[in-house]
Amino acid sequence: MRARFARRKFSGLAPLGLALTAVLAGCQKANPPMDTLAPKSDFANWIYGLFVEVTAWDLFILLIVVVAFVLAVFVFSRRDGEAEAASTVHTDMRLELAWTLGPAFILLMISIPTIRTIFREELPAPPANSLKVSVIAHQWWWEFRYPGTSIVTANELHIPEHRPIWVSLRTADVIHSFWVPALGGKRDVIPGQINHLWFIANTPGEYYGQCAEFCGDSHANMRFRVFVDTPEQFAAWEKNQEAGPVQPASGTAAAKGAAIFANSPCTACHTITGVSKGYIGPNLTHIATRTTIAGAIMKNDPKDLKAWIENPDALKPGANMPTLGLRGPELDNLVAYLESLK
Amino acid sequence: MAAQPKPIPAEYPSYLKGDPIGWLNTIDHKRVAVLYGVSALLFMVLGGIEALLIRIQLFEPNNKFLSAHAYNQVFTMHGTTMIFLVVMPLLLGAAANFIVPLQIGARDVAFPRINALSFWIFLSGAAFLHMGWFWHHGGLPDAGWFGYANLTERQYTPGMAIDFWDIGLLILGISTVLTGLNFFTTIVTMRAPGMTYMRMPMFVWSILITSILILLAFPPLTVGLIFLFMDRFFGTHYYQAVAGATPILWQHLFWLFGHPEVYIMALPAFGMISELLPTFSRKPLFGYPMMVYSVILIAFLSYGVWGHHMFATGMGPVADATFAITSMLIAIPTGIKIFSWIATVWGGSLRMTTAFYFALGFIIEFTIGGLSGIMHASVPIDLQQTDSYFVVAHFHYVLFGGVMFAILGSFYYWWPKVTGRMLNEKLGKLQFWLTVIGFNGTFFPMHFLGTWGMPRRIYTYGAGMGWTFWNQFETVSAFILGLAFLIMFINLLTSLFNGEIAPADPWDGRTLEWSMPSPPPAFNFVTIPEVHARDAFWARKYGSTGSRASQAPAVAGDPPNTEAAEHIHMPEPSFFPIVLAGGLLLCGLGMVVAWWRLIMAGGAIIFLSIIGMAFQYPTFGQKTHETEAASGGGGEDLRKVGVWAFIGSESVFFATLIATFMVYKSRNLGGPGANVLEIPLTSFSTFILLMSSLLMVLALAATQRGDRVWQRVWLCGTVIFGLIFLGDQAYEFTSLYGHGLGFTTDLFSQCFFTLVGFHGAHVAIGVIWLSVLLVASFMDRLPKSRALSVELAGLYWHFVDIVWVVIFTLVYLMQKVKGA
Amino acid sequence: MTAEAAIHEHFEEHVHPGASVYVTVAAFLVVLTAMEITVFYVSALASVMIPLLIILSVAKFALVAMFYMHLRYDSYVLTSIFMFALAIAALLLIALLLLFAYLSHYLWFMVPLARILLPGH
Repeated sequence: MRARFARRKFSGLAPLGLALTAVLAGCQKANPPMDTLAPKSDFANWIYGLFVEVTAWDLFILLIVVVAFVLAVFVFSRRDGEAEAASTVHTDMRLELAWTLGPAFILLMISIPTIRTIFREELPAPPANSLKVSVIAHQWWWEFRYPGTSIVTANELHIPEHRPIWVSLRTADVIHSFWVPALGGKRDVIPGQINHLWFIANTPGEYYGQCAEFCGDSHANMRFRVFVDTPEQFAAWEKNQEAGPVQPASGTAAAKGAAIFANSPCTACHTITGVSKGYIGPNLTHIATRTTIAGAIMKNDPKDLKAWIENPDALKPGANMPTLGLRGPELDNLVAYLESLK
Repeated sequence: MAAQPKPIPAEYPSYLKGDPIGWLNTIDHKRVAVLYGVSALLFMVLGGIEALLIRIQLFEPNNKFLSAHAYNQVFTMHGTTMIFLVVMPLLLGAAANFIVPLQIGARDVAFPRINALSFWIFLSGAAFLHMGWFWHHGGLPDAGWFGYANLTERQYTPGMAIDFWDIGLLILGISTVLTGLNFFTTIVTMRAPGMTYMRMPMFVWSILITSILILLAFPPLTVGLIFLFMDRFFGTHYYQAVAGATPILWQHLFWLFGHPEVYIMALPAFGMISELLPTFSRKPLFGYPMMVYSVILIAFLSYGVWGHHMFATGMGPVADATFAITSMLIAIPTGIKIFSWIATVWGGSLRMTTAFYFALGFIIEFTIGGLSGIMHASVPIDLQQTDSYFVVAHFHYVLFGGVMFAILGSFYYWWPKVTGRMLNEKLGKLQFWLTVIGFNGTFFPMHFLGTWGMPRRIYTYGAGMGWTFWNQFETVSAFILGLAFLIMFINLLTSLFNGEIAPADPWDGRTLEWSMPSPPPAFNFVTIPEVHARDAFWARKYGSTGSRASQAPAVAGDPPNTEAAEHIHMPEPSFFPIVLAGGLLLCGLGMVVAWWRLIMAGGAIIFLSIIGMAFQYPTFGQKTHETEAASGGGGEDLRKVGVWAFIGSESVFFATLIATFMVYKSRNLGGPGANVLEIPLTSFSTFILLMSSLLMVLALAATQRGDRVWQRVWLCGTVIFGLIFLGDQAYEFTSLYGHGLGFTTDLFSQCFFTLVGFHGAHVAIGVIWLSVLLVASFMDRLPKSRALSVELAGLYWHFVDIVWVVIFTLVYLMQKVKGA
Repeated sequence: MTAEAAIHEHFEEHVHPGASVYVTVAAFLVVLTAMEITVFYVSALASVMIPLLIILSVAKFALVAMFYMHLRYDSYVLTSIFMFALAIAALLLIALLLLFAYLSHYLWFMVPLARILLPGH
């Protein structure tokens, strides 16, 4: 399937399209993290191939229009505005037929691969041997669950390479849109409806994603990461996530923090397995395994975490997390506890 | 320069002369156009400042210039302002209003007072959108111009901003539909003798088709906004995922309007370009018939492509593929237009004016926008590009590179006709080049940013995303674009006071507006011209062969004919439009602040203004326009054409309500459901309404016979039957309520009460209309000669009747049918 | 002016029918409504209820539009306006029903098309 696609990609006018994309990519020294032109899954590859093809056709049409335009304005017309026009021809059957049928043919050439790809990427049921991932969008963070396991995590999705991933999309509030450019196109997350997306990631690595449908004040702060792991890495990650939370050694700052957490309003919204059962905010059982916090807008280090707990609204306008007024050593201990939850 | 025609002697004062108060009660289409133009330019400044604020905020990563909330308000209002308060009023309110009657050889539009009403309602709607600013819990709307539900629900966006947005758009919708109705009727019925459809200037064609688009595309938006209003105020669940409803309904209704809306903005621009290119190339438009068919085809297809705004919503592969194909099809007629424009220029004798510069710029910029549009029609590509900056680039190439270039070109083209002064060409060309640089510099890099994954509508972005450089480039370019507009405003202002006096025909024009003095007199034409060829004025000047003789034009402008001018009676000015629009504003304000007295006061003002308007002229019910202008419309009175166009628009309104009812009925979870509907009672209602229609036609027949006694009897009977129907409905609603079926009980009940309730409201309006006629009849003001008044009310009454026929079948008799 | 005279003549041509036509149409309307109600109540007709009801209501619709709204007597321009609007309204209704999947099995003609385009899938 992939071979056929690759062949088609380089047929016809594709070199022209590739040239443009090369120029496009060349303008930037490093690959932007959300580049759609660096596909890392079969889904993204299909789209990329189609994009190159349509870009080529577009450039071809643009070329014709620009050449005709330049000839019309600068070559075949008199530019005095006074004399009789060189031509008063105002109809030509053959020409008009040509520019009706020509574009029609090009559109046919575009629509065939388009429809093929539509039916290839929108499957009614999960493909065989797929890993099912359940995504729940919240204002303004992402929750990821793995049906059949107890894993609940936030803002960082781990998936294995070379295995179909069947993503089910649900929302807790308004419409969002799940988008990881390197892994393929976006899909809206809509209340009262479960949408699906599937792809096979082919290169291990860390990929950026972001909510793509306007969802309120902090729409811009609803980012996430996808980690494509080797099967071994993934199995290890899975095993760790399924385990209970780390118990801090008594007497440490983390242990003091654990007590603070257990008696704080944090428990109303956050789950730490065996400690609390809140479900409004992200699950914190293994928060220390994540590289980012707060919808992947901040690093997961003590400094950022502290800043976040001190005043969430300043960092993510409109955030549902309240300012709890934790300060000084209390806050340091809480942060130490959270950072110990590997 | 062309040979200067002799200045037109100032026999008739220009339409601009006169009492300044005359601008408030004017119903002259040219003055209304100027009012529209001035307000739209002011809003353009506002929308432009909003655009620059967006660009400043995005200048660098993690910028703190605007807060998230402020940014969301700014981008929402930038979109709403530019579409509803700048582009549409400039194209329709200003350009079409001024030019169409002149091009078709008419003295005014079909309904001059409604034209003025459109403007004042537009102005109150525009003010209304911004009113939230003055309330503590208000602020400006912040959910995007597309206002996707369920973010717009009170749960997620409390406060008054969305209420102002919702009702503001409803008010603007009324204004636009009235405009569409007016232009449609004008073009169908008021063309000069000899101006067949295939002799109409292309601009007139595009406005005709645009009017049809307006009439048939605004109702879904109106319905969508009404649902939102009900959700926010009455606690229904049209867009909440409870009780089986879905926010996707809003997207369908919005884009059912939204995609035709794109062509409501694009087609007039196409029309302008089709006027500018032939004039400055001194060649007729290439492929005129194909250009006409393309516009018609584009308009028709535009109703079938709205789904391409929703490819990411998971409509399923079948629907996605269908919308992909229809969206690609629309590229074919668009391609025909672009190639025909180039062929128009080909071999011409070009006069390189600023207006022509913009028209030529349009061809290239619009082509780029169209080509990226093809990418979006290919669903998989769209899944990467939608809601990214690639789309922002695409539609700015269409709406700025396309529509705004056409508008700017038209400024330079028609300004002399409107003001009687020329614009400065040097400043104009400076403006053009700055616009080209600024525009492409701002929007072309957005293609890159979109491909690199930058989502739309984000108020901030991280530093490591690789988006910083081009964002800074764009911001700088945006200020260059701002400078270009500043130069335009300087040019406009200096021209008004110091500009060269414009001759009647500065461009050696092809269409009839150039045959009259600049600026034209209030009544436009001294004698209505007869049209013998497509480019009517060109043919008059150079003969119908289209070949241009080397000597100066034979005719320039109408020969003065003072005697004829004395016999022209233009309708009197009216203060009712501005008063009515004020009432609408009060009414809307009352709804937002939930103050019933304000709603009642506004309603009373509206009601009294309508009655006042109806009885303002002593010629009530008689033809007010001279027959010399009424060549089209199959000889039908223009008011009848207008009422039929209104009925067409209403059909789509009810179809949308019925579609929602049918869709939601089958998604209904729980609740008493449809089986509680009573057939015997509603069968009786059906009988009553059908019989009232009989009485209505009998009343018409009596009026046509001049039989005043039976006229009164039958009219009275119709009113009584209408009241019986309403009584039945009141009884039905109360008894349903008794069965536990309240307005917000479940999905079925809310759709049922909305649909049947809106029908009932139409019956009530019909009863009021007929009662007014009845009063007129008792005052002996409904003689045989005014039979048309009865006929028009009858058309509306029968329409309400046939809507009931449909409702009775689909809602009542098919109550047991699941899902349809 | 001949054109004006022609228009005037044309305008006068629109003679509306008299009371007898109106009453006959009303009688038909009543009969059709009675038939509709019968269809609703007679359970033997349940299987063909939807097409029957649609035909009957279309007939009523057409009668009112043609005779009471004079489309039969007036200019074709008015009929075209109404028919075009009705066509858009009907398409809108059908499209929305299809999109919300109530009649989606009628759209499966797209699937064989996709099969042709997707050999080996």
